[in-house]
Parts: sequence; structure tokens; C-alpha cells
Amino acid sequence: MSDFPISGYHGRVLVADLTRGEVRTVPLDPATALDYIGGRGLATRILYDTIDPACDPLGPDNAFVIATSPLIGSNAPTAGRGHMVFKSPLTGVLGTSNSGGTWGAAFKSAGFDVLVVKGASATPVMLDVSPGRAELLPADRLWGKTTHETNDELAAVSEPGNPARVLCIGPAGENLVRYAAVANDRNRVYGRCGPGAVWGSKKLKAVRVRGREKITIADEGKYRSGLDQAVYLMKQAPVTKRLMRDLGTAGLVELINLISMLPRENFRDCTHRDEDVEKISGETLAKTLLEKAGSCYLCPIGCQRHTRVAGRDGREERGEGPEYETTVLMGPLCGIYDLAAITRANYRANELGLDTMSYGGTVACAMELARRGLIRREETGGLDLAFGNAEALEALVTMTARREGLGAELAEGAFRLAASRGRPGSAMTVKKLEIPAYDPRASFTQALGYMTSPSGACHLRGGYAVSLAFFGGAKEIPRFSLLQSPIAIRNMQNTGILQDSLGVCRFTGYAFAADPWARMISGVTGRDLSVARLDEIENRIAALERQFNVEAGVTAEDDALPDRFADVPIVVEGKERTVSRGDQERMRRDYYRIRGWDAAGRPTPEILRSLRIGETGR
Amino acid sequence: MTVNVRFFAYFRDLFGGRGRELALAAGATVGDALAALCDTPARRGEIFAGDGLKPHLVVMVNGVHVDARSGLATPLSPGDTLAVFPMLGGG
Repeated sequence: MSDFPISGYHGRVLVADLTRGEVRTVPLDPATALDYIGGRGLATRILYDTIDPACDPLGPDNAFVIATSPLIGSNAPTAGRGHMVFKSPLTGVLGTSNSGGTWGAAFKSAGFDVLVVKGASATPVMLDVSPGRAELLPADRLWGKTTHETNDELAAVSEPGNPARVLCIGPAGENLVRYAAVANDRNRVYGRCGPGAVWGSKKLKAVRVRGREKITIADEGKYRSGLDQAVYLMKQAPVTKRLMRDLGTAGLVELINLISMLPRENFRDCTHRDEDVEKISGETLAKTLLEKAGSCYLCPIGCQRHTRVAGRDGREERGEGPEYETTVLMGPLCGIYDLAAITRANYRANELGLDTMSYGGTVACAMELARRGLIRREETGGLDLAFGNAEALEALVTMTARREGLGAELAEGAFRLAASRGRPGSAMTVKKLEIPAYDPRASFTQALGYMTSPSGACHLRGGYAVSLAFFGGAKEIPRFSLLQSPIAIRNMQNTGILQDSLGVCRFTGYAFAADPWARMISGVTGRDLSVARLDEIENRIAALERQFNVEAGVTAEDDALPDRFADVPIVVEGKERTVSRGDQERMRRDYYRIRGWDAAGRPTPEILRSLRIGETGR
Repeated sequence: MTVNVRFFAYFRDLFGGRGRELALAAGATVGDALAALCDTPARRGEIFAGDGLKPHLVVMVNGVHVDARSGLATPLSPGDTLAVFPMLGGG
């Protein structure tokens, strides 16, 4: 039992220094824990205190931090997610990525709240963690193996009631693909911003965890009142009650097309034939490839797609996916409406350890460059890079993960690929991160979310505006309101910060907002973490993330969309729509003001002081 | 006049398909169209709560949420596309 003064925490930070080959446990600071809770907030604070934001992201001075939360170890719905932060080798700014599965809960059960890994090993290593014991082990025999092979080999030590859970990279991470992922439970991934490349640069192949340590709950009655409310509301809302289990996230495909937001051919426009969209819809997936739905730790929603598909050689393959983002970014964004091909490419990306989103965005960029004659057939190993060629999509996954041929350039991401070919305007990125599968011209709120996300164009960190602009909030938050978008996106971002810092799933937000969480976290910790207190914490975390990025070199000029979205209109609701530079400027200015940042997008000394971040942030 | 109706998610099972054409009197509203579609208690129970729409339900005309117009009183024109689906999320 921990003697940490706040319930819900073990009070232990596990620190591995790979340069020295040392692992040690350091105490968690209680004041820091209360100021940042856990997950994204706590991890960001510790990263900020550990590294120089100006460091080389693929050098030994970078670190990564994974934090759990006080709710993990209770039975709060979906509370088992980990959050990883690092300096991103893809973007050069804060890398921040979240994953479900079971690893986060298992790490907490091993008796730790936070994992910090810094330095770099000269040879492949893995970290093995169980209560009272954490050691670095050689991993030469694992180097080169896929995420599935690595997971299965390391998880083989599992015992009844004490499973071993594995977090690992695949060949893409080893080969420093800038958008390489870190996988757990085979197909759950910390996907965005290239954490796998950071692990690869440190020669860290895997982290295996086991344990049975429990947490204490300080005020069972308060915790239970929030839990009961949450469970009741999740049974009422269609998304959490049945829709995710029925259709997965790809249930959105047809609906996003309905509102002219589904991008085609590297964001050329959002026009599709309905019969093509139907081929890749969540309904079609459910009828053709789905074997069963699955769930992450303690999740009643069940959005996972366990699927099977005929391989190109005719043999049946099994795996997970595709999700909405993967379906669209590997699909219509590349002019492809072949669900089987998208699914197979998704399987390969998971096995090799690639972010399916950045991969899709990078292939779409390459296809546009090929159409413009800037990538020639003789450079592709004979592959036809025309939009719509699913064979190229599948073949390039392996070439990218192994950096073979043109794959070595795709491994650098869309921004660097387009720049190296003399056409930077073909990269559909914000802060060098490939844009998700919602066209920003179809919602000012989504546009501002991409512009101001701390990690570059991310719908989960930047604010998932579709739910405002489309579902349920249309009357209050019009899609094209310059006035309302800044406050709307600030609120959405803060909700995301809370969920990421509590270690819970975004999709709970379709059933309830902050109030049940406030009661659950107050009950677990025994501290007054009311909705108002949580809002202050969310603002603190947002300001700290921005401060990290300012010190990494971000300026207001980086908070902008690619030129295409200002210059080339799409048709939405019968009207031509862009997000003009003037509109971007106005929303950015108002957003900065709401956040307490100056005109250059820097948190002011006053806001840093009032949020107890410190006048200089240090 | 005739409008096109499209159903999504579990409304496809409830209404027996991906969509249909619906003949309505000139000047008909969204509420009139939905009332015509809800020809069984099960269908009515999934769409209406009293005189209004059930919560967690989205109705759009030509891609625009009817809440952003006049709700059930939103007028329809020949050839309009009416989309009906449960509030759905993802990401």
C-alpha cells in the first residue's frame, strides 16, 4: 500500500535512463499531481521539466513520458488509457498521443503512475516491469520483428490472473519512420506524431508490465454517485449504448459525406459518388468483414472492429480495423474505395508499426506529386501512383516501414516529401502533421481546431468539432460562425484535455460531460476537484503545452492551414466555401485572447503566473 | 411533390432500407414528412417524443441540420433530400 498523501496514486515515477542503463523509482510530487491530475497533463508537466523543447527529437536528449491517472484502478468506465508525450520527430513540436487497450491499466497495477524514458542505448533493449522490480534487458533477438511477433513472444509469460501486457515498436520505429507508432495489445496504438521513431532512436523495442497492485478510493460515496450517473447516461445515448458496437467509428463515413466534409484526392474537394462511399461505409464493413466488436479495458462501448479479409494471395487474414480515419485517409483521400485493400493496408501498418493517418496523408501527397509529374514511374519500382490505385497503397506500406526505394521518402511524411519535390503546397499538414479526415473548409470550428492543436492537425487534441458543427449542437454552434468558433473550440479542447488527463475515452463525451468525472475523481482522490477546478487545470495544461511549443520555436505563423484551404473552394450547403487567410487571422486572434496568449501566440507572464506554471514557464 | 429520404445506421432496419422516395402535398414540412414515414408505432416511437423529435436524433435537409432552420416546421421543396439518423460519433 502506498503512503502517498493522495488516494488513487501510487506516488511512484519509474525513470529509465537508457544511456546509463539504469532504472530507478522517484517519488511523485503531490502538488504537481494535483495541479495536472494525470495522463496528458501530468505527462506534459514531467516532460517539460525533463527535456529542452529545442532538443533534437531523435537524439538522446529527447525523452518520452507515459502517465496514467488516479481513476485507473477504479472501475470507472473506460479508465485504462495511457497518454504518451515527447518531442515529435515528425513535427518538431509537442508530440502527444493516446491509446486504449489494457497496457495503461496493467502499468498502474505494476505499482507506478508514470514512466519516464530518457537517453539512448547503443544496442536494442526492453524494459521489464513488475511490482518491486524493473530492469532493462537485451532485446537483440526482438529487433526486426513485427509488433504482433514482439507482443506475442513477450506476453507468453502471462499467468492466469496476472497477464503480461506489452508496448512495443515494429520495423517502422526501428527505421525511424517519422510517423512510426507504438503498439499495445497487438492493434491498439499510440499512433500520432511518431512516438515509435523516438523509441527507435533510443533502441527501445518494448516495455512489458505485470502486476496486481490496487489503489484506494478516499470517498466511496462521492465516487459512486458519479459512476452511477455515468453508467446511466451511457445506457441512454445511442453512440455509447449501441452505435459504436454496431458500426464502429466508420459508421461516420456516409454521414460525413452527407455534410460535404469527406475529403477526396489529397483534399482536392469533397465530392464522391454515393455508391462509392457505400463501398467503404461502416454498414458495409459490418456486413462483409466484421467478425466481432471488441473493447478496451473496462469499456462498455465496444468500438473495436475485429475483422477478416481475403489476402491478395487468396488466404484469409485476420486483424483489427479499419477505423473511420484509416478508412478515409487510406481510402478516398487516395481516390480508393476498395474496403478490402484498405483493410489489408491497415493490417500491414499495424504489424509494421505505422500511423495509418499520416501514412494515408503521405501517400495522397505522393499521388498528387505523381500526377503533377514530380514523381516519375521509374522512381516507384514500377508502381503506378495514380489516385485510385489500391495496389500501390498496399505495396508502399512495407516499402515505407523498411525505407525501401520511394518508401524512404514517404517515411519522412508529407511535408518533407512535398518540399523535397519542390511543391510544398501539396502537403496537407498543419505543423507538419497530416490532416485528419474532416475537410476544414466544411467547418470553421474544425479549421480552428487543426490550427491551434498543440500537436499539429489532430482532431483529438485540436477539438473534435464535428460533434458541434453537426451532431446535436447545430443551433448553438453554426458551422460557419467566426464569432463562436474560438470559444467553441477552446471548450472542446478543454474537454479533451480532461478526458486525456483522466485516462478515459473520448467517446464517453457522447453520453456526458465533466460533471460525473468531477465526482468520480473527487471521490477517488478525496480532494475537491469540482468542474470549476477541473476547468482551471485544463487551462493550465493548455498553457503549458503552448509554452512547450513556444520554446520549441512555434509562432503564430505556424497556426495556419495550408494555402489550398484558403484558395480552392469546396461546395457546402450549395455555397462555395474556403477558410480565407483573413478568417483564419480573426479566429486565431480571438482564440489567443480567450486563452490569455499575446498577439504572437505566447502565453503571457500573467497567465503563466496565475495558473502557477511560473512566470517564464520554468 | 416528391422528396428523397435517406436512412442511416439502425434506421435502415427500422424503415426497411437505405432510403425511399416520398410523395407529399405541396407546402409540406419536415414534420409532415416524418409523420408520413412513421406509419407504425415502432417507427413513431423511434422518431417522435410527444410533439417533438426524440433526443439523440438528427434530421437534415440537403445536409443542413433542421435545428439550424425551423425544426419540424422547416418547409420542403420538390427534390429535397431528407436524412434521418441517430446522433453518431467517431473519430
